[in-house]
Amino acid sequence: MADQHPLLEKFRDQIQRCSRCGFCQAHCPVFGGTRRPALNARGKMLLLKEVLEGRLELGEELVESLFQCTTCGSCAVNCPSGVDVPAIIKAARKEMVGLGTCHPAFSGMDQVLNEHDNIYAEDEPEDFDRERGGQAEVVFFLGCVGQYREEEASEAALDLLDHLEVDYTLIDEVCCSGVLEDVGYALKPRLASANIERILATGAKTLVTGCPYCYRTFSQQDAYAPLREAGLAIMHLSQFLAGRDLGLHSGLKVTYHDPCDLGRHCGIYEEPRRTISAVAPDFVELADNRQEALCCGAGGGVRGAYAKNSLAMARRRLAQVEQSGAQILLTECNSCVHNLSNAKLRAQKFKVMTTPQFLMELIEDSE
Amino acid sequence: MRPETKDQLRSIVGEANFSDQLIDLVSYSSDASEHAHRPQAAVWADSAEEIQAIVGLANAEGFPVTVRGAGTGLSGLSVPAQGGLVLDLGRMDKILDISIGDRVAVVQPGVVYASLEKALAPHGYVFPPDPASGKACTLGGNVGTNAGGVKGAKYGTTRDYVLGLSVVLGDGRLMKTGNRAMKSVSGFDLTRLFVGSEGALGIVTEIILKISPKPLATATTLAIFDDLEDAGRAVSGVMASGVIPSVLEILGRETLKAINQNTELNLPEVDAMLLAETDGYTQGEADYQMERVVEQFSAHNAREVKRAESASQAAELWKARKSCYAVLARLRPNFTLEDITVPMSQVAPMLRGVQDIAARHQVQIATFGHAGDGNLHPQFLYDGADQDERGRVEAAAGDLFQLAVDLGGTLTGEHGIGLSKAAYMTLEHDPVAMDLMRSIKKVCDPNNILNPGKMALDV
Repeated sequence: MADQHPLLEKFRDQIQRCSRCGFCQAHCPVFGGTRRPALNARGKMLLLKEVLEGRLELGEELVESLFQCTTCGSCAVNCPSGVDVPAIIKAARKEMVGLGTCHPAFSGMDQVLNEHDNIYAEDEPEDFDRERGGQAEVVFFLGCVGQYREEEASEAALDLLDHLEVDYTLIDEVCCSGVLEDVGYALKPRLASANIERILATGAKTLVTGCPYCYRTFSQQDAYAPLREAGLAIMHLSQFLAGRDLGLHSGLKVTYHDPCDLGRHCGIYEEPRRTISAVAPDFVELADNRQEALCCGAGGGVRGAYAKNSLAMARRRLAQVEQSGAQILLTECNSCVHNLSNAKLRAQKFKVMTTPQFLMELIEDSE
Repeated sequence: MRPETKDQLRSIVGEANFSDQLIDLVSYSSDASEHAHRPQAAVWADSAEEIQAIVGLANAEGFPVTVRGAGTGLSGLSVPAQGGLVLDLGRMDKILDISIGDRVAVVQPGVVYASLEKALAPHGYVFPPDPASGKACTLGGNVGTNAGGVKGAKYGTTRDYVLGLSVVLGDGRLMKTGNRAMKSVSGFDLTRLFVGSEGALGIVTEIILKISPKPLATATTLAIFDDLEDAGRAVSGVMASGVIPSVLEILGRETLKAINQNTELNLPEVDAMLLAETDGYTQGEADYQMERVVEQFSAHNAREVKRAESASQAAELWKARKSCYAVLARLRPNFTLEDITVPMSQVAPMLRGVQDIAARHQVQIATFGHAGDGNLHPQFLYDGADQDERGRVEAAAGDLFQLAVDLGGTLTGEHGIGLSKAAYMTLEHDPVAMDLMRSIKKVCDPNNILNPGKMALDV
């Protein structure tokens, strides 16, 4: 058996360690949105256990469960048995892709990045009328969602950097391709090299990105080690902004959604809160926050592959916003903003935006 | 199951609420026990009418129906041991009514314990049983197992709070038991018959629960005992002291050792650690009771008594107890968590007996549990792939059950019989009682459709 599933085999001990207690049902966003145990973390571990025991084939019939995980990690932080489910799911997906089984939306992502430089296969990069590839202290990396889907959020982030008179430049960026690691494929060295070369060419000392996933990729993936070895400080925009006196004030009731990639996967919980609560003293927490935050439903390739369930997950998060009584929901992830905005019902009167968008509105109002 | 039968199920619940996909059959094959068996199909039901139609079809076609809530049970209650259909009630999750004036909450079976807890909190009320799986388990499952928890000594178990039920019987008829009144001696107590009936007599579709105001203040103390008998006498002393603590937990030597090996808690590796919590509506009330408890701890040679002065100190004292499950779950590849229960005076002899059984069969058993109601959790830790060790664990479990019964106790205090303990039913119940249980099963479920193979009923 060991030869049959080498990637999964590394997690044999972990998979067997799942005691099937089912406590993950309280945390798994896919289960919460569907109430289908086969899609819960425990359901996935049961499947993989049977695979390792040779009782089940790692084939097409398992796709709907194993490819329907946002890899948000809330099961892992709450698992009494310490099972790292997202790591296991990633290995299982790679194993399945190796065996020729995959959800078409996931293989599509890999294919797109074989042929294009961004995940949306867009030909015309949006440059927001900013300098690209100049010499500057800071490189600002937009990310695919920021560049092609949530342009307003990116515009606000750049306006904010201008307002703060930060010496920055954009680059001719390509997809960081980190997400491929989550969906059964591998990060593209070609794309990583292009980003590394262009970032280092600016002479910048700091790399800032508005995308939590790009941040995670730059700071954790081996392929991006040259950036770290060059002594570049890698920061998410929320870290870059934390502690600055912005001299702004809002009387609105504001809440914050922790993006999984920034929170559970990188441990950044307090920096965004520091910025937001300094500006908006009427800050309230959502029922599930920080390590316990409910996923927006977009991650792990689920939005593309299982749109209906992805929206159901976002609606559960939005219901918590409604309960909080907040007028504004802030987050630090373009992808979360995208999914939460799409899922928001007309009757839900609060606004969804990124922290930089919120700050720029206040700056514009005060000018 | 015939394709025509599956079509009929689809027409009852709708296409979207039926599945015979492999991923669902695998996920419905087990619960939190070591047992597993795949069903042939699964449905998510939405109403009592649908459930009646499903049970009607099961009787006509002769397939078993195993009802399921969250599948957090530890005895195989919701494992479809003979295949057939799994009936998932997780989507019947509406809280139908909360009436503080009547002290009543009416819920569907799929409501998660924690959801009701959240809904009652603004009123200052709780549904007290507080099972350890509360964040995931369903109230229907609580009724099916007569679930208990850490506060059983003072607040009892699910049974003490169920006022009435709507039930689809095994023959498909819908029945209501009980009412919304606090007192009722009208007719046989059918409600209690169904609480803890493990889905073998009927399928609960609605539950009327008594709720209670939540005490506002607590006091917490931890005591360590070099000698197990002293700890046992302290527990009896507390019972005789005139107060009932809301929590009185015990951790045995093996458990303390295991926690030390896997955490930074640095616990003393003594015979027993007792954790007590008292509660009340004023701090004075909680403190008065705690003083009585502490007197007993001191009178019975506690080596050390630590009393929490603040909420954060109380949380510190709780750490060891709260880490038990997670620490023990990670020690060996497999575990089974038992829940034998003995009279409180027999807690120390039972714990000593567990140590002897472990030594005799050369197995690892770590014990913690609810000393305040005599409900102990010996946790067997082993490697399921090791056939020899597995055999020794099974033999040791048999001795464990025998000892619990010999001491005047029971096989199970809160997890249920299910598959795990079916073979031991006759240790505890005499032939007349077994005969009556089987007769009741036959009356309610003449064709043995509901959860067959459990509780040694279908012999």
